[in-house]
Amino acid sequence: MGAVKQAIPAEIGGEADVAMDSGGTAERLSARKILPIVEGVVLVAALLAPLVLQDYLTVFATRVIILALFALSFDLVWGYAGIMSFGQALFFGSAGYGVALLARDLDITNILLVLPAGTLIGLTFALLLGGFLLLGRHPSSVIFVSLGTLTGSYAADRLARGWYYLGGQNGIPSIAPMSLGTYEFTEGPAFYYLVLGILVVVYLLCRFLVRSQFGLALAGLRENEQRIAFFGYKAQHLKAIIFTIGGGVAGLAGSLYAFHEGFVWPNMVGVVVSTQVVLYVLFGGSGTLIGAVIGAVIVEGVSFWLSDNYRDIWPIILGLLLLLVILFRPLGLISFVLGERERVGSFGARAKENLKENVKENRDAP
Amino acid sequence: MANAFVAAFEILSFGAIIVLIVLGLGIIASMMGIFNFAQGEFVLLGAYITYLAYAKGLPIWAGMVAAPFVVGALGFVLEALIIRRFYAAPIVAMLGTYALGLIIRESVRGLIGGFYLTVPEPIGGSIDIGAMHISAWRFTIIVITLLVMAGCYLLLSRTNFGLRMRATLENPSLARASGISTPLMYGATFAFGSALAGLAGALIVPVFSLYADLGLRFLIQGFVAVMVGGVGSFIGPVAGAGVIGTLSAALPWVMAPVVADVLVFVLAIVFIKFRPQGLIAGKGV
Repeated sequence: MGAVKQAIPAEIGGEADVAMDSGGTAERLSARKILPIVEGVVLVAALLAPLVLQDYLTVFATRVIILALFALSFDLVWGYAGIMSFGQALFFGSAGYGVALLARDLDITNILLVLPAGTLIGLTFALLLGGFLLLGRHPSSVIFVSLGTLTGSYAADRLARGWYYLGGQNGIPSIAPMSLGTYEFTEGPAFYYLVLGILVVVYLLCRFLVRSQFGLALAGLRENEQRIAFFGYKAQHLKAIIFTIGGGVAGLAGSLYAFHEGFVWPNMVGVVVSTQVVLYVLFGGSGTLIGAVIGAVIVEGVSFWLSDNYRDIWPIILGLLLLLVILFRPLGLISFVLGERERVGSFGARAKENLKENVKENRDAP
Repeated sequence: MANAFVAAFEILSFGAIIVLIVLGLGIIASMMGIFNFAQGEFVLLGAYITYLAYAKGLPIWAGMVAAPFVVGALGFVLEALIIRRFYAAPIVAMLGTYALGLIIRESVRGLIGGFYLTVPEPIGGSIDIGAMHISAWRFTIIVITLLVMAGCYLLLSRTNFGLRMRATLENPSLARASGISTPLMYGATFAFGSALAGLAGALIVPVFSLYADLGLRFLIQGFVAVMVGGVGSFIGPVAGAGVIGTLSAALPWVMAPVVADVLVFVLAIVFIKFRPQGLIAGKGV
C-alpha cells in the first residue's frame, strides 16, 4: 500500500497533489488540527485553479467540483450514517432530468428556480425511497437497504432508457444554459466560481451538521446502531433524515451537472454513476467531508490524465487500487494525513475526550 | 394455441437461465452470507472461455466443459487471497467483490474490445412439435438446468461433502472442533458457487452473444431473486429465481416492456420489504 500512497500524489498534477503534500508536511509540523489545514489548502487550490488552468481544463475542473458535491452527498449517507446507498445516482440523475424538462418544456432556466427545484426533486425521491427502505416496524438489514437502492437506481435507468418522453437512450440534449436575469451561465470561469461557491456553502452546512449533536448521534449510529437505539434515539428516523438530506445535495449536484454538460442521459440515474460516487468516497476517505472532495478530484483527475494513452487499462488500475484501499486502507487516502480522532471529530471544546465518553455524557442531552 | 406454447417455452427457458445464474449466487449468499458482486463477471468469464475455445478451433462443448472448472479454480484462489478477509463485514464484502468484478470485467473488455461476439450453438436447429418449432439449444439449457439443480440438491443434502459444508456454514467453531477444515470448506463453497456461474456463462453465450457487460445485466436480477427467495437455504434462491425469471419473461407479453421491466423490480422490493425472510424462510438445504 505504501507504493500506492507514493504513486498517487506523484502521478497527478494539480490541486489534489498540493493537498496531499501539504497535509503530509503539516503532519510533521503538528500532530493535531490537520483537518482545517487540508481543507484550507484544498480551498485555496480550488480558488486559484481557473487562473492557471487552460480554458478546457477549467471546464473539466467545473465538472469535477460538481462531482465532488455529489460525492459529499454519498459521504453524508455512508461515511456518517453507515447507510450503503448504491443508488445515489437516482437522486442525482432524476434532478438532472427534472431541471432538463423544466428548461425544455417550460423554458425555466432561472438559477433561482432551477437549483431549488433540483434540490427538491432529489429530496423528494430520497424521502420516498429512503422512507420506504429504512422506516417500518422492523429495522431493515443493511443488505436490504444497499440492494434496494441499487435496484432502485437500476430500475430508474431502465425506465429512462425506455421512456420516449425522457428521450429514451439518447436522453435530453442541448439544454438551455442557466440564467440569472439576462446573464447566462455558460462553461467557463464564472460557472466554475458559481459551482465552487455552492460547494463551499454546502460543505460548511454539512460540516456544521456533522459536528452538531445530530452528527454525534449519526456517528454513534455508524459505530453501533443498537446502542444508539438503546439510548432512546429513533435510529431509523435519524437514518431517513440524513438519507433525505443526502438526496437533496445529490439533487443539487445533478441539476448543476445537467446545465453544465448541457444534456442528460440514462446513465446519469443508473448503476454506473452510482458506483462511481462510491469509488470517490472510498478512495478519498469516507467519514470525512474533505475526503469525499479529494477522492472525487483524484479519481477524476487521474482518469482524465490517463484517458489519452491508457484509456483501456485505467478501469483495471482503478479496480486494483480500490481493492487495495478496501483491504489495507479502509478509511481512504485521507487517513494517511488525518488521525482517527480528528476524523471522528471532537465535538466541542473537550477535545481530549474520545468519542465513547462523549456519547455517554451526551446521551440524554437532546 | 401455438403462440401460447411458444410464449410458455420462451418464459420457461428464460426462467431456466435466471435459475442457472442464481444457483451460484444463492449458494454463496446463503451459505457464506456474502453478496458476491463479482458473480456476474464469473458468468462473463465462463462465456469468454467458451468463446476462446471456439475461436481456437476447438469444439464448443470442450469450452463449455472447461469453463466451470477454470472459473471454479479462479474462485478458489480469489477466496483464499481476498474474499477470506471480508467474512466479518458484509458491506465491505460487497465493495471488495465489486472491485474484483470491475477488474475482471475491464480485463475482458480489453481482450475482446467493445464488440458483440457470437458463438454458435453446439446443438443447432429446432425441435419440431407439429407446427411449432422450439430452439433445440434453449431446450437443452432447460434440461441442463434441471440436472444441475438436482445435482446441487443431492450434493448438499445427501453427500458427506455437503454435510461438512453445511456444518461449517452453520457453526464454524463446532465444525472445527469436529475436525473439519473450515478454511478449506469456505474455499470449496466459494469455488463451487463460482463454477456454477462459469457453467451458466458457458451455456448462455450462444443465446446472448459475448460482450463485456454480459454479467452485469444479470447481477441485479440475481440479487433480487436471492432476496425474494430468501437467504439461508438452497431452495430459497432457486424459488426466487424461478419467480423473478418467470415474471420478467412473462410480463412483457401483457404490457409495455418498459413498464414490465420496472414493475418486476418494484414488486420484488415491496415483497422483500414486507417479507424480509423471503419466500422460503429458514436454514437448511
